[in-house]
Amino acid sequence: MTELTVLQAVRLKGRVGRADLAATLGQDPNDCGAVVDQLVGSGLLIDGKALRVSPDGRAHLEELLTSERRQIDSAALSTAYGEFRAVNAEFKALVTDWQLKDGQPNTHQDPDYDAAVLARLDGVHHRVTPIVAAAAAQLPRLNRYSAKLQAALDKVHAGETMWLSRPLIDSYHTVWFELHEELILAAGLTRESEAKSGHAQ
Amino acid sequence: MSIPPVILLDGDATSPPEVLGHKGHGIDMMRRNGLPVPPAFCITAEVGARFRAEPAATIEAIWDEVLDAMRTLEAATSRTFGRGSHPLLVSVRSGAAVSMPGMMDTLLDLGFSDSVEKALAVQGTTGFARDTRRRFTDWYQRIVGGPAPDDPYLQLRTAIEAVFASWDSPRAVAYRSHHGLDDRGGTAVVVQAMVFGNINTNSGAGVVFSRNPMTGANEEFGEWLPGGQGDDVVSGTVDVQPIAGLRTRQPAVYDELVSAARTLERLAADVQEIEFTIQDGTLWLLQTRAAKRSAQAAVRLALQLRNDGLIDEAEALRRVAPAHVEALLQPSLQPENRLSAKLLATGLPAGPGVASGRAYTEVDAAIDAADRGEDVILVRHHTSPDDIHGMLVARGIVTETGGATSHAAVVSRELGRAAVVGCGSGVTESLAGKLVTVDGNAGEVRDGILRLSAWSEDNTPELRELADIARRVSPLRAHTRGDYPQLTRHSEAAVRTAMASGHSDVVSASPLLAMLEAIRLNEVS
Repeated sequence: MTELTVLQAVRLKGRVGRADLAATLGQDPNDCGAVVDQLVGSGLLIDGKALRVSPDGRAHLEELLTSERRQIDSAALSTAYGEFRAVNAEFKALVTDWQLKDGQPNTHQDPDYDAAVLARLDGVHHRVTPIVAAAAAQLPRLNRYSAKLQAALDKVHAGETMWLSRPLIDSYHTVWFELHEELILAAGLTRESEAKSGHAQ
Repeated sequence: MSIPPVILLDGDATSPPEVLGHKGHGIDMMRRNGLPVPPAFCITAEVGARFRAEPAATIEAIWDEVLDAMRTLEAATSRTFGRGSHPLLVSVRSGAAVSMPGMMDTLLDLGFSDSVEKALAVQGTTGFARDTRRRFTDWYQRIVGGPAPDDPYLQLRTAIEAVFASWDSPRAVAYRSHHGLDDRGGTAVVVQAMVFGNINTNSGAGVVFSRNPMTGANEEFGEWLPGGQGDDVVSGTVDVQPIAGLRTRQPAVYDELVSAARTLERLAADVQEIEFTIQDGTLWLLQTRAAKRSAQAAVRLALQLRNDGLIDEAEALRRVAPAHVEALLQPSLQPENRLSAKLLATGLPAGPGVASGRAYTEVDAAIDAADRGEDVILVRHHTSPDDIHGMLVARGIVTETGGATSHAAVVSRELGRAAVVGCGSGVTESLAGKLVTVDGNAGEVRDGILRLSAWSEDNTPELRELADIARRVSPLRAHTRGDYPQLTRHSEAAVRTAMASGHSDVVSASPLLAMLEAIRLNEVS
């Protein structure tokens, strides 16, 4: 666990409690607490009702990410991101179909419909797994996303469907959205330019 | 006598909408009444149904008749398809028995080749010919799925096949399933001579309603695009103008259009939505159908049409569904309030509901404002994962970029927030700090805090008037008070029981809803 992983996790969550931070990082809360205290002490994190990144922390994180990017094969990462874009469209269509049925909010009273939508998640997971692995070959910290996607998928399989798309927990969509952000940054792009070109939707 | 597979829509096609399709039937009716409609023929819905089972054999069997009908269009327009100095272009449109707006495919401007483009350039301008050909190739590519062939007749044949096949497109299937429409059968195809709203500045295209379908006001309503084609108007990608602009620019055309709208309304005994094109100062009507309307308009228009003598009391009641009344009794943004507030932005409706508040463009500022007790609308260029805390405190969400499946849309729906996405660049800046209302049903952001309000059976004059009519027509008269048995619910079962036990008068908390139910039960039995 490095300054970078902690700052990046807090930044992706926006505001996060210490226990949730340790959980999303897959770390023991005590180990995590020491790094957090140090970052709070140096003014890079703000400790209040929840942790958040200070303006200095944001600048420092940008530097860390820039130097991290220099170590990687950017062509390999761009390829991985290109593949992610295709499966991203498929995943979000799936989530939208889960939320809406015939343009109306899905009342989840049609088990066949719901089952057919959820069945598509396995295909998406199957496609995204090697993409995450390829990206993690360049940036090993991204391996954590495989574990988090798998954990969310397992819960959905166990019938806890809120782990598909509920915000504020590490649901499949939450993890996916953060992974998407990581890949945009690692490929040296910005979400703004990606949104404009229609890929970050 | 069996019905021919190809029927000219010259005003003498006596077949019903089930055969001609809704669109074809409307075209034939307009021509019969002397309205200016470009010549057209239709391939019947029965052929459309056969096509689904045996595509190749079906097209082959009718092709000679399609060619004959094309000869008739050529004669009627003094133009020639695919050749000559005055080339004929056609549109190929879907048309099911029941109108399914936008669900199936349509192609415009068919019949192009290099020589046709040259001939059109001589008739109009090079720019017009190029623009029209570009529209054709775009449509063709999108609908048929491949580059357009050079042979105009092959264009026609593949387009007809594609339109027939669009009956089974996922969105058409979903639409029929949602509206409880029959999945059997197929669509008719209408082939119509093109007229061009894009030929010069004295031209244009638009949609006009014989009365306002949102508020129900008795005034023409609609929009048009000078120098545009019909597909521009419905695409939502160009800024169309209110129909009043046509009155200023081409008053004679406007008067003719309004008079045609009134004629069609009278003939159909219902408010009409009419697609039109103006080609170099000449008005052409392309299709007419009963206007889709809001619940408010459904009630007001039923009362107006009855007061105007176009429909009787029983029909006025049939025009109002219980679902309309139930919707009106729920708090909602009334259309007249919505339309009177300035429109600040439009985008895709991504999270249903209506929400008002002050627009904040930064997450931290939004959270601080919410902590102070303000109603917050979060407006972002796009959304990043960390925007979630801003979305959480916001009542409504607006983004510049992103589609209906964007992360912002997904999260808004999860949180149950009203959301409009993809409003275009500059919206963040233009909305910042303003008090706005986000209408996640219409996909609009309007100026100011717009209050929601509900109608009531007791106090809204329109509902009282409708209830008075219902008491004259319904086999069960329901009153708000009086010395009658109490009807505790207005469900079908409760109303049926009351009628079966011989009651003619009851007291109900929702008299109108109870009577609409009684009238329906009486009519189906």
